[in-house]
Amino acid sequence: MFRRDFVLRSLAAVAAAPLARFAHAEAQAVSKVPVPFTFDMTPPIADREAFIAWGVKNRGEDPKFLMQRWNRLHALIQNKDVWDDKDKIAFLLNPREEFCRPVNRPHAYDSAFLDIGFGVTISGPHAVARMTQSLDLKRGEKVLEIGTGSGYQSSYLSRMTDKVYTIEIIKPLAERTRGVYDDLIARGYTEYKNISTKQADGYYGWEEKGPFDKIIVTCGIDHIPPPLLRQLKAGGTMVIPVGPPGAQRVLKVVKNQAADGTITVARSDIFGKIVPFVPFTKLDGDAIKGAHNGEAKDTK
Amino acid sequence: MTSSSLSSSSRAANQPALLFYLAVGLVSAAVIALQIVIMRIFSVGSWAHFGSMVVSLVMMGFGLTSVVMCGANAWFEKHWQGVANVSLLAFGPLMVAANLLAQQIPFNAIFLISDAVQKWKLFGNFVLYLTPFLAGAFFLGAVFLRMKDVFGRVYFADLVGAGVGGLLLLGCLFLFRPENLIVVPLVLWFASGLVWFAAQSNHKPTIALVALAALSIGAHYWLPGALAIPKLAVSDYKGVSYARKFPDNQRVYESASPFGYLEVYSSSYLHFAPGLSDNAAFNLPEIPPNAYLGMYIDSDGPFGVMRKLSDAESAYFRYLPMQYPYVLKKDPSTFVVQFGGGISTRVALHNSKHVTVAEGNPAILDAFRNDKALRDFSGDILNDPKLNVIDYDGRLYLANTSNRYDVIDLSLADSAGLSNPGGFAIVEKYAYTREAMAAYMRALADGGVLSVTLWNKEEPPKSVLKLYATMVAAAQDAEPGAKNLSERFYAVSSYLSTATVLYKRGGFSADDVAKLHEHSHAMSFDELTYPGFEFDATQTAATLKSYREGIFGVDAATASANTASAAKSPDATVASKPAAAPTTEPTTAPAVDPTAPAEPSATSAADPTAPAEGVAMADPTAPDGTDPNGDPNGPGPAQVPATTMGQLAWYALLHNDWKTVADGYVFDTRPLTNNRPYFAAYVKPADLPRTTDRLEIFQDEWGYLLLWATLAIAAIAATWLVAIPVVLNWRTIFSRYPGQFRTILYFACLGLGYIMVEVSLIAKFVLPLGNPTVSASILITGMLVFSGLGSLASERFMERAKTVMPLIFIAIGAMLIAYGWLLDPALNAIGSLPYALRLVCCFVLIAPPAFLMGFPMSTAMTWLGRLNKNAMFLWAWGINGSFSVIGAALVPLIATSFGLAAVLQISGIAYLIAAPAFFAVFLPLKDTHPAPVN
Repeated sequence: MFRRDFVLRSLAAVAAAPLARFAHAEAQAVSKVPVPFTFDMTPPIADREAFIAWGVKNRGEDPKFLMQRWNRLHALIQNKDVWDDKDKIAFLLNPREEFCRPVNRPHAYDSAFLDIGFGVTISGPHAVARMTQSLDLKRGEKVLEIGTGSGYQSSYLSRMTDKVYTIEIIKPLAERTRGVYDDLIARGYTEYKNISTKQADGYYGWEEKGPFDKIIVTCGIDHIPPPLLRQLKAGGTMVIPVGPPGAQRVLKVVKNQAADGTITVARSDIFGKIVPFVPFTKLDGDAIKGAHNGEAKDTK
Repeated sequence: MTSSSLSSSSRAANQPALLFYLAVGLVSAAVIALQIVIMRIFSVGSWAHFGSMVVSLVMMGFGLTSVVMCGANAWFEKHWQGVANVSLLAFGPLMVAANLLAQQIPFNAIFLISDAVQKWKLFGNFVLYLTPFLAGAFFLGAVFLRMKDVFGRVYFADLVGAGVGGLLLLGCLFLFRPENLIVVPLVLWFASGLVWFAAQSNHKPTIALVALAALSIGAHYWLPGALAIPKLAVSDYKGVSYARKFPDNQRVYESASPFGYLEVYSSSYLHFAPGLSDNAAFNLPEIPPNAYLGMYIDSDGPFGVMRKLSDAESAYFRYLPMQYPYVLKKDPSTFVVQFGGGISTRVALHNSKHVTVAEGNPAILDAFRNDKALRDFSGDILNDPKLNVIDYDGRLYLANTSNRYDVIDLSLADSAGLSNPGGFAIVEKYAYTREAMAAYMRALADGGVLSVTLWNKEEPPKSVLKLYATMVAAAQDAEPGAKNLSERFYAVSSYLSTATVLYKRGGFSADDVAKLHEHSHAMSFDELTYPGFEFDATQTAATLKSYREGIFGVDAATASANTASAAKSPDATVASKPAAAPTTEPTTAPAVDPTAPAEPSATSAADPTAPAEGVAMADPTAPDGTDPNGDPNGPGPAQVPATTMGQLAWYALLHNDWKTVADGYVFDTRPLTNNRPYFAAYVKPADLPRTTDRLEIFQDEWGYLLLWATLAIAAIAATWLVAIPVVLNWRTIFSRYPGQFRTILYFACLGLGYIMVEVSLIAKFVLPLGNPTVSASILITGMLVFSGLGSLASERFMERAKTVMPLIFIAIGAMLIAYGWLLDPALNAIGSLPYALRLVCCFVLIAPPAFLMGFPMSTAMTWLGRLNKNAMFLWAWGINGSFSVIGAALVPLIATSFGLAAVLQISGIAYLIAAPAFFAVFLPLKDTHPAPVN
């Protein structure tokens, strides 16, 4: 019964994907991205109105989402989830709404993680920002993501380097997300050409594309897969969220090689210290306020 | 025998009364069976504690029907037969319809906070599952009202029916998969209908009954297939759902039993190496491929099942934390406390001369013993010539055996270590209590090693700290007066992976310590304590404070005052000093705000995410400053706060400073005991109000927090129950009823007291019986049947109730209070007997209080009936029911804070309070109005 149900639902998802793409493509046919992505793009970070105007002119995006994205970025900055300009720019260029299910799009920029089907969530923006910032990804570096999921994390990374590899274990989800990327490429988001996807068991990494400077693992497992540690370059960093969604600690694993060739692995938290778990800031309309002051959590 | 009690105008009166009681019993059986079925459906489809919540609140609704009946009691009494017939006919079809519909709106527990729709879905589940119970409640209410003069008998039928129904359903758990279990209450309903209408010699409703039953069965079996809808929707976030999505998944084994719905899946995508050292990556040629099956119980898991590995492949055992005892012991005689999926048994077999393994879940043993596919895959592990299998709890075996072992291993016994997004229910963990640990320690041969490995995936640490405190307390029990407990413990952890504690009887030698140092270093595990370990206790206050602030934020009042001390974040200043290690204090400390990354500036070169770089740290894993494998010149890795916390905890535990640490730590770290055997409920009660605006970070505590929610809702509902009749009908109905308040108090005490005894004894009897399902069935059946007999016997004392009942209350109160103190030793003794004898002894223990606890309800209800206090009669029934719900939610809340003994004693006090209130029942109706129409 279960399997049949699952197969049916999977088939429905697979069948629906091209339809959704078709519908999406039609709706978007008129709004091609006006200016293709380059790594030199500098959207205004400090001024919201300027950013929205820039986003409409250069990316052809919805001003409503642009505003929400800008607001969320400033909550991230306030909350010290991002601090590098390259991360801030990557966040501002990354249309999270494209990676949420339609029903959740109005909540795309809430702090919460959201359901995307298949027992998988799109992590909250604070968690993704922290993970990405702690990777300290530089242009040209090779990064491997295990657990493509919604595709949002790789989308973020694709604004920071041109060598993003991502593996998803669940076939219909891998296909759906690949479809999202293809649509976006068709619409002129050329940065998604930086992402290579495959459906496979992420446990074994992607040997022929390795070694990698950075690896980001977003699936639950009771140990760090040894093949991934082997495919990580010496001096490379791996980050893995551990714990229930909403209260995840991010485990940072650094592979060190000593002068004599000895390899050691060091585990630490991404902050290496005790930091408050959940966002301590919230968006209240346009204003950013401290959360946990007895007010309701942020909603839009 | 009841002709006097049944109206001569009723056709029913002409029929054998026995059939009536049988029908009542069968309906009660169906009601309790349906409750258990819903719990099972929630356990398999989502999370058990949401099932408990829904069922509790549904039972509240069950009680609330009495308000409706109370308001119109005259009408109900007049039309009792029609009400009973219609409700009975509706009961069965409603079960099936409600269940099918509820499965179409599965709520997603993990989005309960972030998605408002989920709350409505949960509410929808509640409303749907409430409907069949309403039908059941109207039936029983109508019958009770009709037969109020001989309430003791009908109550006997009700209780015994429920007791037998519970037992029957538990038996049927062998026969039906969870999605088809609903057939059991449906059959009971059908049988009750046949009996009920036969008693009335009324054939028309019988025809309707048969038609409805056929429709219901048809709908349950045929409709889901025809409409392609799920019969039991399993959450996408349950462990088994992921296995079902692996492209090559295959279910290789399935069994349904009272011990859980067990499934085993094969897939090349399954990989298990719990707690594997990261160093395995660079020292092993490869991890064995296709080596695992995933075992799931009630959709939770996976528990790894390993195939028999070749000697070359077994090399990877060395990198698992369960390898530790074998670093010291060569070819030992080993005892593995819990088989589980068998990985630690495999490691033990690889390293030991002989292994004894225990497993308390018969379904697991049955699978590994009798299923060909599993036997082939596991290399028929349970028939290994080196292996001896104990088919009950290892804890009970070790507490009662004279055998001694060189190694006793309890490794990652019952969890897959992955996060459980729905949270954990409050479960008794008797294998991890102070008493159990002391039994393990006593069962060690001289120089023997106890090794306990637990998941260490929590930050801030919770379970591991409780484990450490428990093991030290147990060592004090096992070796009373032993000095230098610190010589007996060695502990390591791997950050966000596992923690292992070794206890050596008689203490570790210098040679042992050197071997352990070397192994831990080779594995890159962090040492938390070892003989001679020294810790710089000046960091304690700052570390504890940082953890508290990490969860609850910087308290506004103390924020500014404590900035300076907060800056001494453990990661920046920690320098644990191994006994003889050279002092390598940090030479530089990152100048960042320890509670948050520094506000970055465009030119800042400081990377707040990597405070380690450039900071020379003492390496606690390098004994004597030597570093056999690593780079002696390179900077050691920064120590994470959790490791500091572990070292701090161990140092305090072994140097008599634990109280300061336990008081200052953000979560509860009290040891597990047989009286309070819980890892769950780690939030200190005083902090509960502060959790409400940050529930997401307490996701693993939702099982506990939901109980508070259930209690709150039940309390509000009970208040309404008391208030509505008072507000609406005070003048009309209750003005003639003197002593209302004492009557309310009386039935509230009975409701609270009875259920608290039942639920707490279910938890306690797991101690000798080893299995919660067996315990629940023994208790539900035993309590209800003995109370039913008590209810029947109470008839003999009805005329002397005023003199007999006070004695009975005193006897119940005294017995329960005494049980609170005396039960533990009695249950421990019972645990050593053969299983059949244990069951008999448990029944013997239950019988006296349960029998007497059958008296108060039936005596008082009968007298309310005899005095024609009809409204009060119904209302009392409702109050009793709703306070049962409150009591059921209170049990774990009290038990996690004060222990299970306290629950029994509070129940005893409730019965003592009921004694004086009992006399209010006899106050005669004021004769200011004509008697109600009957």
